[in-house]
Amino acid sequence: MTSNAKISIRQFSVLIMFYTIGTTILVIPSSLAADAKQNAWIAAIAGWLLGLLIVAVYMVLGKLFPHMNIIQYLAHVLGKWFGKLIALGLIFFSFIGAATVIFYMGNFMTTQVMPETPIEAFIVLFASLIVLGLRLGLEVLARTAEILFPWFVILFVILALFLIPEIELEKIMPITEFGIKPIMKGAVSYASYSSLPLIVFFMIYPASLNRNKEAGKAFFIGTFLGGIFVIIVTFLSISILGVDFTERNMYPSYALGKQIIIGNFIQRVEILIAGIWFMTIFFKSALYAYSFVTGLAQIFECKDYRPLVLPSGMILAAYSLIVYPDVVYMMDFDTTVYIPFSLVFGLLLPLMLLGAGILHKRMIK
Amino acid sequence: MVRLLSVLVSVFLLLSLLSGCWSRRELDELGIAVGIGVDKAANGYRVTTQVVSPGEIAAARPSGNRTPVTVYETTGSTIFEAIRKITTKSSREIYLAHLRVLVIGEALAKEGIHKALDHFSRDHEVRTDYFVIVAKGATASDVLKVLTPIEKIPANYLYLALDSSQKLWAPTATITLDELITDITSEGKNPALSAVRVIGKQISQTQKNVESIEPPGFLKYSGLAVFRKDKLIGWLNEKESKGYSYITNNVESTVGAIACPGGGKIAVEVIKSKTKIKGKVRNGKPNIDIVVKMEENVGEVECEIDMTKRETISELEYAAKLRVEKIIKNTIKKVQSDLKVDIFGFGEAIHRADPAAWKTLKQNWDEQFAQLDFNVNASVKIRRIGTVANSFHKEGVE
Repeated sequence: MTSNAKISIRQFSVLIMFYTIGTTILVIPSSLAADAKQNAWIAAIAGWLLGLLIVAVYMVLGKLFPHMNIIQYLAHVLGKWFGKLIALGLIFFSFIGAATVIFYMGNFMTTQVMPETPIEAFIVLFASLIVLGLRLGLEVLARTAEILFPWFVILFVILALFLIPEIELEKIMPITEFGIKPIMKGAVSYASYSSLPLIVFFMIYPASLNRNKEAGKAFFIGTFLGGIFVIIVTFLSISILGVDFTERNMYPSYALGKQIIIGNFIQRVEILIAGIWFMTIFFKSALYAYSFVTGLAQIFECKDYRPLVLPSGMILAAYSLIVYPDVVYMMDFDTTVYIPFSLVFGLLLPLMLLGAGILHKRMIK
Repeated sequence: MVRLLSVLVSVFLLLSLLSGCWSRRELDELGIAVGIGVDKAANGYRVTTQVVSPGEIAAARPSGNRTPVTVYETTGSTIFEAIRKITTKSSREIYLAHLRVLVIGEALAKEGIHKALDHFSRDHEVRTDYFVIVAKGATASDVLKVLTPIEKIPANYLYLALDSSQKLWAPTATITLDELITDITSEGKNPALSAVRVIGKQISQTQKNVESIEPPGFLKYSGLAVFRKDKLIGWLNEKESKGYSYITNNVESTVGAIACPGGGKIAVEVIKSKTKIKGKVRNGKPNIDIVVKMEENVGEVECEIDMTKRETISELEYAAKLRVEKIIKNTIKKVQSDLKVDIFGFGEAIHRADPAAWKTLKQNWDEQFAQLDFNVNASVKIRRIGTVANSFHKEGVE
């Protein structure tokens, strides 16, 4: 019924890290700056801590079913039909997630990098890559992540080093102007972008890991590391571009890359930042898609998920073209609808499941 | 069979790539715009675009009787329309990524520039590393039509002259679009842009201008244009502009003259300068402390003074300190009394120091700024005195 793919603890951490960074690094500085102004970086830290808290809940939940994935567990605890109903909701969440992330990628490319190339070209290419990755399976995806990890770190460190001379600490002052409320608001939106969607990892975690016991720790480490990258980018955006510019810019971290001018020859390197995203966005969309396809296969009790990959990829590519009718709709959706949407599946569902699971265990005894 | 088929299919798919990108733009199809000027027109904008004529710039032997750049002037109700309209006059598509300067005409600047700037911040092709300047007593179109000696591309001249005068002489401001927009939107700071004047307008537009050893027509930076939000409200002269650069910590190097104790003058070169602005609020009244730390070298001695004595140096240091403090004080006073607009970012300093008090102060910050108290405290260290100790004046030229 499920693939018996096993990935190592380290691969799992790297996947989690890429997934946490995902699209977050692209958009979060701007939405944090809108809420918390010059304290956006504090909001990022708060969001990161909140995210770790959520992951702690996930870890407890994971201990309840060390040898099942979430779809099996839902059926196990809630009964076959009701469990499958909830599972449908979860794969719907993954589906929307995958489509929106692919759209993000295409939209960024047509807005900033290659404006005359139709968005369909990027989306089809990117979706084919995901289809390829999913057909090759989880192990291949995980190994790819492991190989790309050092490159990601090198690129990121180079960029951060080049940006250090541009930092103006005055731009993050005064620190305690607006109090705690906007920071918390920012933290919630951070968590909803980068931590709550981690729920889709329950398709892998904890059953598909080779050393089950350490899986929780790996989950935690991945989120921990990913958050640090996002905090650094937010801090750099605020302290270099300033609040106003960060808030107004659609892709502040890309604008950050444009700031690098060293000795008139190291310049115009913003595409390196884009390179970083291609990696993280690929893993984010691939994992969303993986969760969607394997979830679908399980609900309908297919033997293998692979035959579903190509059609699902085509549906995803087509759907990502219409998931947001326009860019303003996207911004509106992300700030209003998406947060409660991800709260339902990323927090409410695991909490419910946790309660139901504990109850179920007691009843069996 | 399947294998053969898949090979064939992939070969055919690869064929489709041979035609290249569909959005390719060859270099010889692009008109590279280096300067853009925006002026007011009857209904909308008059946009002047300076485009490089590659045959004259790149060829080993330019024909010589053609100008190295050409200028297109178009009008439109919006900037974007006006730029696209250039295609009716130009054989090449205008490419904006190498823009060096954006010139704003005086008349438009007085009316407000924020509407005109949106396109430049929104368009993906325009980068943000060019300077924004204001044409003083002229239209932007006049500025972009001057042919300059040495630099074949006048927009490059505008860029480089501004950059070097900022670095070596200080009374100019190299403001890019991002910084300008940040200043316009800031509650505690208003923008100031470098002003450029056109001298000898009639003659400057033809090749004749660069044929004489001293071109009769030329461009010259002169001080700063002061804005309230996005509207031009006045000008600063060279000295005041230097004061502005000192206050905003933009002096890299400059030269100033100080009087000798016994008459005559000494010129000193600033080699390092760092300004810190500290704001505080006392009894609801804003107060600004400006601390300048400078290092200088002596560059010219035109009086009889014993440069070998340590007392002389400390006397000079004191005189130099007073000089800088005076420049800064005069600048602030002039801006407070005449222009009444905070271009120095004092409001931001108050905001950083006391966010709670700032909430009430910002309501009428322009008035608050006009009567705000400030202290200037400069400290000058003279490090070197050049390659000679005492001047040869001393050995009795009498």
